[in-house]
Amino acid sequence: MDKVRYSYLQQQFADPEEIFDGIRKLLKTGAFTLGPEVEQFEKSFAALIGTKHAVGVGSGTDALKLPLKALGVGYGDEVITAANTFIATAGAINEIGAKTVFVDCTKYYTMDVSQVEKAITPRTKAIMPVHYTGEPVDMKPLMALAEKYKLPIVEDACQSIFCEIDGKRAGTYGIASGFSLHPLKNLNVWGDAGIVVTDDDEMNRKLRLIRNHGMKNRDEIAVFGFNSRLDTLQAIVGNWLIPQTADITAQRRKNAAYYDQELGKIPGIRFCPRRPNVHQVYHLYIFEVDQKHRNPLLKYLLSKGIEAKVHYPIPLYQQEGLKHLGYKAGDFPETDRQAKEVLTLPVDQHLSREEADFCIHHVRKYFENGGM
Amino acid sequence: VSTSWRVPYVDFPAQFAGEKEELMNSVLEVFERGDFILGDKVVQFEREFAQLCGVKHAVSVANGTDSLILALRALDIGSGDEVITASNSWISSAAAIALVGARPVFVDVTSDQNIDPALIERSITPKTKAIMPIHLTGRCARMPEIMKIADKHKLPVIEDAAQAVMSHVGGKRSGSFGKINSFSLHPLKNLNAAGDAGILTTNDDELAVKLKMLRHHGMKNREEVAFWGYNSRLDTLQAAILLPRIKKLESVIERRRRNAKIYLSGLAGVVELPVEREDEFHTYHVFVIQCDRRNELQSHLMKAGIDTKIHYPIPIHRQEAAAYLGYGEGSLPVTERQAKRILSLPIHQNLDEKQLHLVVNTIKEFYEHKRTVQL
Repeated sequence: MDKVRYSYLQQQFADPEEIFDGIRKLLKTGAFTLGPEVEQFEKSFAALIGTKHAVGVGSGTDALKLPLKALGVGYGDEVITAANTFIATAGAINEIGAKTVFVDCTKYYTMDVSQVEKAITPRTKAIMPVHYTGEPVDMKPLMALAEKYKLPIVEDACQSIFCEIDGKRAGTYGIASGFSLHPLKNLNVWGDAGIVVTDDDEMNRKLRLIRNHGMKNRDEIAVFGFNSRLDTLQAIVGNWLIPQTADITAQRRKNAAYYDQELGKIPGIRFCPRRPNVHQVYHLYIFEVDQKHRNPLLKYLLSKGIEAKVHYPIPLYQQEGLKHLGYKAGDFPETDRQAKEVLTLPVDQHLSREEADFCIHHVRKYFENGGM
Repeated sequence: VSTSWRVPYVDFPAQFAGEKEELMNSVLEVFERGDFILGDKVVQFEREFAQLCGVKHAVSVANGTDSLILALRALDIGSGDEVITASNSWISSAAAIALVGARPVFVDVTSDQNIDPALIERSITPKTKAIMPIHLTGRCARMPEIMKIADKHKLPVIEDAAQAVMSHVGGKRSGSFGKINSFSLHPLKNLNAAGDAGILTTNDDELAVKLKMLRHHGMKNREEVAFWGYNSRLDTLQAAILLPRIKKLESVIERRRRNAKIYLSGLAGVVELPVEREDEFHTYHVFVIQCDRRNELQSHLMKAGIDTKIHYPIPIHRQEAAAYLGYGEGSLPVTERQAKRILSLPIHQNLDEKQLHLVVNTIKEFYEHKRTVQL
């Protein structure tokens, strides 16, 4: 073996004929925008997560932006989220004119709920917990807090289809929750796509309005809305994949358990404790090493053909583009620590045992050689 | 949808029949590379589109609404600013302005349905940050005049060329006049993807870089975020569908112009027609007539199996969404009058002469019959 790739799309879609048939049919009928396959996918997805409604949109970013817009969050408002998230979370908040307020995360890579209360101000209009890497936020205390302050929760579940905490699925806690269907997500389509779930009829109605130009009907525009629709073409891919979601998740969990078991034997390797009340879905498999080893180990693995990654080396609050938020170095110590110590290995459902062993072997070798 | 009409407004089966293999092979190539996000074919399509418009750069995005939003954002237009545009457009023109936090300022149009250059100057205030003319129906706004006004006031122009790929005026293509210009590649456009898609053009190197970052979360590279951005990318898969189609665009437009010619000669003197000026090249994304008893004519045509549309029955300034802007009834008289008189006839490239003559004759028959009855 000379290579372990991060993207598995060519394996996953090695035989795309069935989907191609769907696309051929679509090209003939021309229902490219909000066609019947979109509705079918929305129904299946809502059933998959266990919500009343699902609304297909243009991307995972938009799946966060649209519920905030539907809640009336806008200029001058604040939304609280986790400091260690991907830029899309904060980007969605910014797009509708609101200000991102960060709180630090826990050793589980998710929002530290105990720090949320002190971040609440009179301008706070929503809380956006991020179920990061497939690991859920501690939703019970967060829901209690939201209840106390009468603040809506919009879950960023972009990486977390089928993830659970305390027996309840990510995406079923908040007033609305956004999922990503990006090509590298656990349930993935062939381009940018996202979906919002909700139990709330009014939220459902508003989402459908603002993803489609605010159109009440062909002629009448109720509000200025976005153009953010799940392409019918992508819904065809989604419909094909939905029945596989449970198997995909199970295989990822199996791969992660194997990594846990084998990497756990190597001195110098740490990973976040696995909790019995949590069903992790491993969109990402992250482990930790001492800061001095992280970059050398990354370099070593890459030199061996292993496509390891770092999610993410620079915390958002330290990004040049977000300086105006006014944070300073050291404001989020756990986020900072993780940015320097985490490494991601491929964990997808197509990863073979040989490939996993190859990764483990080289991590071990790095430490046996005393680090390089 | 199309099977029940004798003259359908669009005909996707006919389009696909002539390109099936080429299109599916192009899609298959995306699989072989697995580059679904900003892949090779996106870059290739952008290069070809820039050439088509005669500009240095083209930057593709998720749709034609986002392309307007990104153009405005790239020029740092936002809260408290004003942008001058027309009201008789698809909602996106004004929505994009409103969504970045700015205020759309509407100017009335001339008989060609495009912004009236003579009325622009009086709408310019210290808050005006851009002029956004719309090339409605595939016919360019009066760009030579508009550019003069914009230059005089040092205002950037954003062409909303959503409906006007390859149109030109004064010997210059749409998408090559303004600082940044915006196109839609929606399934109903002359150059159409199989889903939502859009693209921007510019001759400015720095703005091209900025747009590429704006569409990708404001990221400079995998790790660094330079400024707030969006997630708005053209799917590689859509680029794969657009690439074979861009090669056919010229013939698509030729066919539409041939169809228009039949309408123009057949309906002369019967209804008001979109006749080209000498310096114009109309690509007829939409063929709009202006006529009396519009609604009656539309149902008459429908009964004859002819599908028509109205683009658009309610101008943006009279929509509920725009109520807060305070444009009352009568504030844009020409736009409002046209909204009651316009009708879009089927014009797509797959119509045959028989169908076109059926449309002509049915319209003639309607007005002749009416005249007889009145006499």
